[in-house]
Amino acid sequence: MKQSRKIALPRYAEYNCAMKYVVEQGFESKCILPPPLTKRTEELGAKNSPDFVCTPFKTTLGSMIEALEAGADTILMVYGICRLNYFAELQEQILRDLGYQFDFINLSQFNTGKKKDFLRAVKAINPNTNAAKLTKAFAETVRMVEHLDEITGKYYQVCGFDPTRESRLIYRKFLSDMYAAQTLADIEESYRTARRSLAGLPLQKPADPLRVGILGEFYTVMDAFSNLEVEQKLADMGVEVHRWMNVTNSMLRPGGKNHQIQIMERCEYSMGANSTTDIWQAQTFAQMGFDGLIHIKSASCTPETDIMPVLANLSQDYKIPILYLTYDSQTSDVGLMTRLEAYYDMIEIRKKAAV
Amino acid sequence: MDAERKPITVGIPRAMLYYQYGTIWKAFFEALGVKTVLSPPTNREILEEGIRLSVDETCLSAKVFMGHVHALIGKCDYIFIPRYSSFRHDEVFCTRFEGLYDQTRNIFRTSPQRFLSCNIDAKNHQSEGDAFQALGVSLGFSAKESRQAYRQALKKQQAEQKAAVRNQEAAAKKDGLKILIVGHPYLLSDPYLGKPILDFFRESGTILLRADHTNRDRAKTACMEFSPTCRWIMSKELVGGAMLWKDRADGMILLSAFPCGPDSMTNELMTRKLKDIPVLNLVLDAQSGTAGIETRLESFLDIIRFKKGSPV
Repeated sequence: MKQSRKIALPRYAEYNCAMKYVVEQGFESKCILPPPLTKRTEELGAKNSPDFVCTPFKTTLGSMIEALEAGADTILMVYGICRLNYFAELQEQILRDLGYQFDFINLSQFNTGKKKDFLRAVKAINPNTNAAKLTKAFAETVRMVEHLDEITGKYYQVCGFDPTRESRLIYRKFLSDMYAAQTLADIEESYRTARRSLAGLPLQKPADPLRVGILGEFYTVMDAFSNLEVEQKLADMGVEVHRWMNVTNSMLRPGGKNHQIQIMERCEYSMGANSTTDIWQAQTFAQMGFDGLIHIKSASCTPETDIMPVLANLSQDYKIPILYLTYDSQTSDVGLMTRLEAYYDMIEIRKKAAV
Repeated sequence: MDAERKPITVGIPRAMLYYQYGTIWKAFFEALGVKTVLSPPTNREILEEGIRLSVDETCLSAKVFMGHVHALIGKCDYIFIPRYSSFRHDEVFCTRFEGLYDQTRNIFRTSPQRFLSCNIDAKNHQSEGDAFQALGVSLGFSAKESRQAYRQALKKQQAEQKAAVRNQEAAAKKDGLKILIVGHPYLLSDPYLGKPILDFFRESGTILLRADHTNRDRAKTACMEFSPTCRWIMSKELVGGAMLWKDRADGMILLSAFPCGPDSMTNELMTRKLKDIPVLNLVLDAQSGTAGIETRLESFLDIIRFKKGSPV
């Protein structure tokens, strides 16, 4: 009998805990976690990628290399609605050219919308998959992702106002619990603990703190390493950080079609990928009276570049300042910090002037 | 009613998909008796205006496009920017073409210019025919007239593509050094961007084959074999076209505009997978002068001639 696969997916924010859960509990295979993203990951990826491909391509490629180094024998790659749909094919070619030996499961290949092809994908991962176990694991993984997104959102909203810095420990503990979870009970228990602890923290929060909405390209906006922890940096300045974009909101809960209707005046059609929800988020944050918006994207991201004129008009109409951040493998921590500080000063002065 | 219909003029930017589908647009409006006006061929001024209007990070071709829109402002009732999203369920256009209409409207928001669009989005149940019919109806023509105009226009477009393939077939039969050039039509056919490169080859006495001069359906099938998960319609036609022509060429040039999203990946894949033909990668940006490119083209030709054993 063939030994069970050692499957790895590239690092993506903290969602690898969910991928690990579904691979282990649903496909009953071993999941290899690539090491957390570092400068080395980015450099490995950038060195072996075409020059002007977007940064997430380079980062995920680097993470695949590190997964293979960590002992994975199978790389599983997802697909998406932009260039992401084509990542896998080119990344496999690059890894083969580098001489690595591995199996590659390219889910894009099975992305036809047909049930038959979904089953083929399942068979490719593990031919002996138990359908009942897989269904159960999928449902439980969805719960995990929902909890992860909820706790992450809560964390960034309180951590800036928590003098004891206890929230960091709570969040770290919650994450490590998610990576270790084996059952739904594990997930639910850690979630309840984390939620209770975060809610019970004594906060030193001004009555009307600066509120900033973060939006932008799917990978970079959610992945703290890729965006140089922009949310943490803002929170540390005493800003209440809001981010709508996460897997729960964008993929697990429908509603995207209705976002287009709400932004019809700015944008008649979908401009591709997540553009519609992005513009909708910006508009919603602005209508809620936020003090500023930060638009995040990786260098040469086509759909996010194209919505910038729309965002610029929105910024004018609602008189809300938008900071545009473009990340590539050269973007530095210090440079980002300078821009964030300047932006903070600006929105703070505006707020005081308005009062 | 017809007598009362006010004559309208539609402006078409001579950029981007004009070079791919311009024939069908012009023929459609012509069949309905709508006057069309084209922006002038790209020149330095149009490019610079486009650069000024666009987001820095967008591709060279989109910048040129904005320059063309600017050149048409005030010269027509509507500027026509169709939204191309998909012809079939399993294919897409680069998102730039999905967003071009809305992006342009937002860039020119303060101008009184009106814009005209139609939405070709088979994934959301709007085929090309439906889109053109809706376009005709929105201009005040009947559904039947519009549908007929579309059919006529489509025929013209297909005939033109066929003729291009036929001409290239004839050229490929001649003796001589043959270079296959793979690039989007809006680069290759643009008099300011691609034409200097095409001219260089014509003057050097080589036979130039274009990957986009191909039977589009056959090209898509060929692309499926070479790169199964490529979904971009225009990349499929280019990559597939390249596969169909490459055996008859002595060298291949991959021409793209900085920083083209699909090209950044498909060109890399071709460079990696094709081992039996010399490949030159050329990227055009707003700064590139022709001198640097000419030097590279000359040395590429020298290498190929040397390889073939003919005198340099």
